[in-house]
Formats: sequence, structure tokens, C-alpha cells
Amino acid sequence: MILLSISNLTKSFGGLVAVGGVSFEVAEGDILGLIGPNGAGKTTVFNLVTGVTRPDSGEIFFAQHRLNQLKPHKVVELGLSRTYQTIRLFPHMSIIDNVLSGRHCRMQTGIIDSMLSFPGKAFDEKNAMTRAMEELEFVGLADRWRDDAGGLSYGEQRLLEIARALATDPRMVVLDEPAGGMNDQETVELRNLIERIRMRRVTIMLIEHDMSFVMRVCNQLVVLENGIVIARGKPEDIQKDPKVIEAYLGVDD
Amino acid sequence: MSDKTRQALITVGVLLFLALPGMGLGSYWLDVLNQVGLYAVLSLSLNIILGHAGMFHMGHAAFFAVGAYVTAILNTVYHVPVMATLPLAGLAAGVFALLVASPIIHLRGDYLLVVTIGIVEIVRIALINNVFGLTGGSNGIVGIQRPDLPGLGRLTAPWHFFYLIWGFVAISMFMFEYLENSRYGRALKFIREDVVAAEGVGINTASCKLSAFVIGAIWAGFTGTIYATQMRTISPGSFSYWESVVLFMIVILGGRGNQWGVLLGSFLVIGLPELFRGLQSSRMLFFGAALVVMMIFRPQGLIPSRNRRYKLPQPYADKYK
Repeated sequence: MILLSISNLTKSFGGLVAVGGVSFEVAEGDILGLIGPNGAGKTTVFNLVTGVTRPDSGEIFFAQHRLNQLKPHKVVELGLSRTYQTIRLFPHMSIIDNVLSGRHCRMQTGIIDSMLSFPGKAFDEKNAMTRAMEELEFVGLADRWRDDAGGLSYGEQRLLEIARALATDPRMVVLDEPAGGMNDQETVELRNLIERIRMRRVTIMLIEHDMSFVMRVCNQLVVLENGIVIARGKPEDIQKDPKVIEAYLGVDD
Repeated sequence: MSDKTRQALITVGVLLFLALPGMGLGSYWLDVLNQVGLYAVLSLSLNIILGHAGMFHMGHAAFFAVGAYVTAILNTVYHVPVMATLPLAGLAAGVFALLVASPIIHLRGDYLLVVTIGIVEIVRIALINNVFGLTGGSNGIVGIQRPDLPGLGRLTAPWHFFYLIWGFVAISMFMFEYLENSRYGRALKFIREDVVAAEGVGINTASCKLSAFVIGAIWAGFTGTIYATQMRTISPGSFSYWESVVLFMIVILGGRGNQWGVLLGSFLVIGLPELFRGLQSSRMLFFGAALVVMMIFRPQGLIPSRNRRYKLPQPYADKYK
């Protein structure tokens, strides 16, 4: 079943066409890699899908919902959450607070309920905390729940961002360079983590520059260059595609 | 200091404070404390907007004015009992905040600051110009009644107001504490830290920011009622831009996001200058200098906000001590 479908998506910034008519689909259960040289428009596609920027034209459908004009928090509510290329945690807040931010949209307590401290509030908080600890255990940061998020290493911060994204009960997560800044050991663990996310029936789309990582992790690849899709398919086919080789390595005249 | 001793100290402090009117404190000092209390509630309500959500709002006196004038007009023109106007004053201030804040809520830091200064000036000038012929122009409104409390009769003496005002401070602090320790209070802090990340993680930032404004304004409106009935006379001069600056200062100086800090700030900014009345005008010079020094050496405020501490549910509480 198609979970996310993008058709003829375009976006220009000033005179620069960042995304020039991109179409592809992500099926439920996929681990789809979006690859391409720097400046190919990968992060722009992510920003368009998650509502951070509005497309000039084209359509984005996620689980039968049209995402085009939705604000980012609405997109998250529909079950699509993300991480960022430049980590965007709340560095001065505790690790558990960071994960609880992901629970916000699934919690019930209203403003008046909380000001009068109705009993439902405590129940709501307790459930959220339990769930936050589950996600921290899932990524392996549970024993540091009290610490400030800013004190984590770069790789750990990426894991915390993933935990926060998973706390929103997503059907799909989009990960923007999840292995960025990770050492070899951490990258191996990340591969393992992504596989465990897939086993939770969460569909994954990711951007990554580390080709051996992408080839091992993804079952589908979409290659972007200068804002258009130049190839799509299984990793083993993409590796052999002459257009992709040209885009990455250049070609002799 | 353990939590228990801290709690004990706070309890003793509060009880001593509540016993002050019985310990022969003169009415002059009670009036000073009452003023501190009014500024404390205003600052605590501003703290939700400025301290928690991190929005630079320097027009809080506008909402205070709306509340005070609603009470004054309803009481003097329509003879509504003062305490019955309290919810209406809060409601009016809240609706006013909703109307003026909706179009500007997306503005960042300094831009928002400039607009909110504009709002408080517009309100003050509108009051001077006697809008709808109800506000009495620059002379304001006189002859507002003292409040009648059911079962207690009419409040007249400074010590009556002492308990009214500080009771209101206490209730507000409890409610704001609950609010802070909720899903919503947490959302405001995420917005203060990084509004893009907050939106991207599923928080409706526009509506959270707007409701912070409205809650703060409702409380400022309530405070307006109490102020009007305590002073019995109100005029536009009491709701100037300068009052908004003082409130802003109290929150920043005391510690944004920390209620105890804001309370301390109210005592320092409003109460302390009274202690040095003998020094005449030079006291404001010292005060200004103290502020400058503070901002250089302790920009986070006297009692900075702390991360919320959680008690984990089981089985995690035992697992991760």
C-alpha cells in the first residue's frame, strides 16, 4: 500500500529551482533512501513533505490526507514525524523532557484541566512518562533521562531526536542524515536501530551521504540531482545506473 | 537543602508574612505590601507570556487597564457590585488580548516588543480621549465602591485588602504552578527554546502562544478589578508604558519562568525603593545601577527557572535511580 505519494512537486527560492517536478511514492514498510549530490534538493523535499515550507505546485498525499497546506504540527498529528540535518533538540532541557515533547500531540489535558489540577492530568502525565521511557530504552539513552540534552554526544543527540520522533506515534519517520557525525560503531548501531524501527511497522524515509550505509539499510532508493529525480529503484540496480554514476563521479568527455 | 527543610522554611515564611497585619505593621507599610502584591500578580501573569513562552511582551499594562476600566464603568455607571465584575473584567481583558494578539502572534522577539509597546500606548491614549464617552478622559473614573465579600461584609481597611490581594497571589501561584507542570506549560518552554523544533514535533505553536497571551491578560484583568476597588479612583496615568516596563523588569530581574523569582522581583522593585524613601530621588539612581550590575553578572535572573523534576512511574523509578 502506498503511504506517501508525491507528484510533480516544485519549489523555487528566488530564481533558484530547488525542487523541479519531483514524483515518487513510499510504500508502507519501505525504508526509502533519498540520495544525491549536495544541493540536489533532498532536504527541501523533506521540508515540503513535513510542512516546513509550502510547495509552489504539486501534490503531497500521506495516508489519504493532502498535506500541501498543512502546518508542521498537523503533519505530525497525521502520523509523519522527522529529525533534522542540523540537530534541533531542546538542549537546555532534560532528555526526558525532549521525548515528552513528542507525546504532546497525543496527550489530552487542556489548559483549564491543568490549572485546576484535575486527576486526569496526573494519569495523562504518567502515561506520557512511561511511553517516553520506553522510547529512551529503545534508543539506549534511558539511564541518562535526567541529564540535559545538550550534554549528549553528537551521535547520542541524533538518537534522542529519533526517540522524540517515535514518541509521536508515527506511521512514518523521515530522518535527515541520521548517521551524520556518528563514528563507525555508532553507525552500525544505527543500522540496527533502523531495522528495529521497521519491525515496529513504521515506514522510513531517510537522507544519507554514507553510500555503504544507504546500500545496506534501504530497500528503495530515489536519486535526486538538480531538483529532479534521475533514478529510482532497488539499491543494486541504482548502483549500476549510468546516470547515477555520472551524477556522483562526473563523466569523461 | 533538602526538600523537606525547604518546604518547612517556605511554610514558616508564609505564615509569618500572613501574621504581619496582626503584628502592628502600620497602614503605610500594609499599603506598600498591597502594592507589591498587585505587581506580583501582574508580573506572575506576565511571566507566563514572557518567562515561559519567551515572548517579549512590553504592553501588559494594557490588559490591566481593560480590567480596571471594565470594573470601574460597570460599578459606577451600572451599579454592578464590584466583586461581580471580576469575571467580566478578566473576560474583557482576555477577549481584548485575543483580538490584538492574533495578528501579531507570529512576530519574533524584538518585533513583538515594539508592537506591544504600541498597544499599551494606544490603550492609554484611547482612555485619555474618553472613548465611547465612558472612560472619563484624563481624569479617569472616581467613586468606585469598596468590595463586599459574601459573609465578611465590606472591605475597607488596608489589612482587609492585604488578605484579599495576597490570597489572590497565593491562588494564582498555585494555578500557575499546576499550569507550568502540565503538558501545556511544557509546550510553552519548548516554544521558548526553539519554536521551529516545537512546531515540528507536533505542538500547535500559534495556538499555544495565543493562549499564553490570553491567560496572562485574563489575570491582568482580574488584577485590574482589585486595583480599581482598592484605589476607588483610576486614571490613564496608572496604565502607562512605564508600568509595563516595570513589570517586564520584575520578571527579567527575578528570573523568567520562576514564580519565586518573580515574587522576589516584585518585592525588590516595588518594595525596596520604599525602604529608602529617606534618600529621596537618588534612590532611583542606585536602583538603576543595581539593575545594570544584575544584568551583567546574572542575566538569568535572581532565581532562574529550573528544569522540571520528574518522578518516574514504575518500573522505571526503580530501574533508573
